[in-house]
Amino acid sequence: MIVEQFIAIAPQLLLSLAIVMQLLLIAFKRSQHSIAFFTVSAILLALFAHYPAMTNVNLAVTPLLYVDVFSLTINVLILSCSLVAVWVSYGYLRSAVECHDEYYVLLLLAVLGANILVLSNHFAAIFLGFELLSLSLVGMIGYLHLREHTLEAGFKYLILSATASSIMLLGMAFVYGATGDMSLAYQVPQQQDLQLLGQAGLVLIMVGFCFKLSLVPFHTWTPDVYQGAPMPVTLMLATVSKAAMFAIFVKFWLVSAIFNQDSMQFLLVCIAIASMLVGNLLALTQQNIKRLLAYSSIAHMGYLIIVLAIQSQQSVAWALKSGVFYILVYIIATLVIMIYLSGRSKAHAITDNDDWRGWQGLIWQRPLQGSCLILALLSLAGIPLTAGFIGKFYLFTVAIENQLWGAISALIIGSGIALYYYLSIIFCILAKPLETTSQTPIDKVGNFTVSHATVMGMLTVIIVALGLFPDILASQLIFQSEQVTIIFNEASQRF
Amino acid sequence: MIFTNIIAVLMVSAFIALLVGKRFARTLPYIAAIGVLISFALLAHFASNHHDLFHQAMPLVSVPWISSLGIEYATFIDSLSFILVALTLILALVCILVSVSEISQYQNFYYFNLLAALAGIVGVFAAADLFLFFFFWEVMLLPMTALIAIWGHENRRYAAIKFFIFTQVSSLLMLVAIIVMAFIYQQQFGDISFNYFDWQQLNIAMPLQYWLMLGFFVAFAVKLPSFPFHTWLPDAHTQAPTAGSVLLAGVLLKTGAYGLMRFVLPLFEQAATHFAPVAIALGVISIVYGAVMAFAQTDFKRLVAYSSISHMGFITLALFSFSPIAYHGAIVTLVAHGLSSAALFAMAGMLYQRLHTRDLKKMGGLFASAPRMGGMLLAFVAGAFGMPGLLNFVGEFMTLTGTFTHHPIATAFAATAMIGSAIYGMYLFQQSFQGKPQENVKIPDLRAHEWLLCSLLFGLLLYLGLFPQALLMHFDSIYPSVADAQLIGGKL
Repeated sequence: MIVEQFIAIAPQLLLSLAIVMQLLLIAFKRSQHSIAFFTVSAILLALFAHYPAMTNVNLAVTPLLYVDVFSLTINVLILSCSLVAVWVSYGYLRSAVECHDEYYVLLLLAVLGANILVLSNHFAAIFLGFELLSLSLVGMIGYLHLREHTLEAGFKYLILSATASSIMLLGMAFVYGATGDMSLAYQVPQQQDLQLLGQAGLVLIMVGFCFKLSLVPFHTWTPDVYQGAPMPVTLMLATVSKAAMFAIFVKFWLVSAIFNQDSMQFLLVCIAIASMLVGNLLALTQQNIKRLLAYSSIAHMGYLIIVLAIQSQQSVAWALKSGVFYILVYIIATLVIMIYLSGRSKAHAITDNDDWRGWQGLIWQRPLQGSCLILALLSLAGIPLTAGFIGKFYLFTVAIENQLWGAISALIIGSGIALYYYLSIIFCILAKPLETTSQTPIDKVGNFTVSHATVMGMLTVIIVALGLFPDILASQLIFQSEQVTIIFNEASQRF
Repeated sequence: MIFTNIIAVLMVSAFIALLVGKRFARTLPYIAAIGVLISFALLAHFASNHHDLFHQAMPLVSVPWISSLGIEYATFIDSLSFILVALTLILALVCILVSVSEISQYQNFYYFNLLAALAGIVGVFAAADLFLFFFFWEVMLLPMTALIAIWGHENRRYAAIKFFIFTQVSSLLMLVAIIVMAFIYQQQFGDISFNYFDWQQLNIAMPLQYWLMLGFFVAFAVKLPSFPFHTWLPDAHTQAPTAGSVLLAGVLLKTGAYGLMRFVLPLFEQAATHFAPVAIALGVISIVYGAVMAFAQTDFKRLVAYSSISHMGFITLALFSFSPIAYHGAIVTLVAHGLSSAALFAMAGMLYQRLHTRDLKKMGGLFASAPRMGGMLLAFVAGAFGMPGLLNFVGEFMTLTGTFTHHPIATAFAATAMIGSAIYGMYLFQQSFQGKPQENVKIPDLRAHEWLLCSLLFGLLLYLGLFPQALLMHFDSIYPSVADAQLIGGKL
């Protein structure tokens, strides 16, 4: 190992070090305040460590990891999301009697897992990251063990996630059997009889990713787990886990040039279409905002994987740019809603405060929060003025460039269905406030502070700014994705 | 810059209304009116300076916006957009006048939405870049939906959601067509472009052109609305607050017609010619169906809403007959319907404020207590069913004359609507103002601002009806698409 390689993976090394330090800190002094502070600074350090790493990209660090701009971008995104997650968790857990310091260890482990997953260039690294992420998430989902739904959600996630991992492991074994190689760049084997084995392996690996991205037909766990998990953990699931899985799915798909195989392509488009339709249809009648976001995330991931169904190497750059832009926009909008929800919920309550009908008239009582939520919902629905529209516009361009007419129709129909539930929530926010005094009003619940409102406001400003001037970000991304294309070309030639 | 300035003025007054309105609610109508009047003054100033430039499209600004996709902030002006923007601003005043006494809740947000919707509509008429056009097309929807959803009548949420989903889904079809067009431009000319003037050089092969044309047509037919896509309109019009109905009927429907005139006919000539029989059939069905349905209504606003469907059918018919006279007739009908339906909805709003009902069965005999109002309603109803001397007559007459040469049967069917409109118009008037008075119903007559509003609209209808040349002189040199239309019309 040389110095450049250490610099390239310095963020991950810092995170690992921080985890050990966390354990020491717990042994030394049990204080929620200090460990939260420590976690935040560790994540910030890891974020800053990306500056030197950016100068030295396209570097293989051992056969396991490969650092390129695409992975670094996603990692920055993941770290920023986890920063938000730590901060809302602190507000959420603060009111509890117990001292929840092991929670932060789990959180950092999950972030490390996600980071490794994004960087990985080898099946072993993928599996390592995958398991690190899932197992820590299991612990976090079932963390509030006194809640009924939480334990159920934890178990559900544990069992289904383990199944998905083992299926993926089997797929890796198949691919290894066919090609004799564990690296991400899959080469179609020369012998006829091994090709089927290799392809079966690829499909099984894809199943693993689809499970984590909660794509139809592997979506059934999503609503229960989203609902059962404590609110900040739902936030992690919806942002950190989704971004990491999307990144590794993209790498898996593009580095191995799987888009050249028609049957895999067909499978992907089918999954995408099914996810868009099923996700949106199931979201229609949900009254629990967490369940609704779970179903809508199924649909959004369906939209998102359209970018993988490209026909030629030329479309890679544009598709990557669109994909990264879309997931970024999706994450920002989700963050706004989930920060609000986390601020309005407490760890020691029986459930989270997650019925959207309780938002009635919010805009008249709390104009800033109400308008942030409305803009975030509009962004999820893909309405102009918000970044969500630009994201959807990019997806449309990718789909049209590759002539995926089926996916386009599903995208239009899905967006139409989605409008119904997004608009219902928006109209609820805009309706006249309820005049009942029996319950505590919504703006008195939870540990919602000025900082929550500030961050929501800032993220909303980003949503609108990107909706009006997408080029401030997108022009950066195109530069990076062009590099990525070259890397992918090199990678697929090299192996 | 003229349209950009107007949009900016409207948006600035919208934000002023939003920010100061909570404390000084009484000043809100004045703020809004001042914003609209400044815009109008800007437009008038521009028009007096550039008298003869309107016959051809005149590019105004062009600033790169999303350069990776060749998208620009580009606007332009020609006679059509000038007239429609002028109509929009006149109706904006009407909207403000009818809102004065109607809106009592969340007034600052109301005026914000009203002005933002106006800005969006002006943007639609101004955009020369198709992405920008789509952007404004959607942006005008948001405040409009908010107007319906917050200040509407009893069934407002349903109506608002229906309105939004119909327009949004259809406009996504248009978005797909727009992106495909941009890619075709890239294939033919190398660079990607969403510019309208660039697209006029495009040469698209036939089956593809037909599909693209359909993508645009569906979006505009929903807005127009034409027969199979009309179901959102009665709900939205009925449930919207008065100003919302005025804006919807007066201007929003015109954006659909504008789209057909601006994009469908010039960009897809060949496909439009192929599609013409279907479009004409849809137009005639809309005309007859709207008239028949209007007659069956007992709700004042719903009746007017169905009559709008009928009148908009004339526009589809006129545009797809490719005759210059009918084309001019369509433009006249646009303005005429904008003014007269706005007037009728404003009347409905005034009646609703006095009686708290829109049900015609609960009205009757109002003439005794409100003669001026009755007289005005009669005048507007007469306008709507095409009384000579008012503008609507000119539009319908020109449309029917123009279409008759090529489509005599369709024209014959369409002409029956003249009778139908007289029936439902008289029905509307008799049910509300004539007949036996209901017990103890005495309503106050027109107030000053209502009187101003009615006479403004009626004066315009009468003046333009007597001198339609004031409108048509803007189009007297052969309009580009009319030139094509003559060519195509010769082939048919």
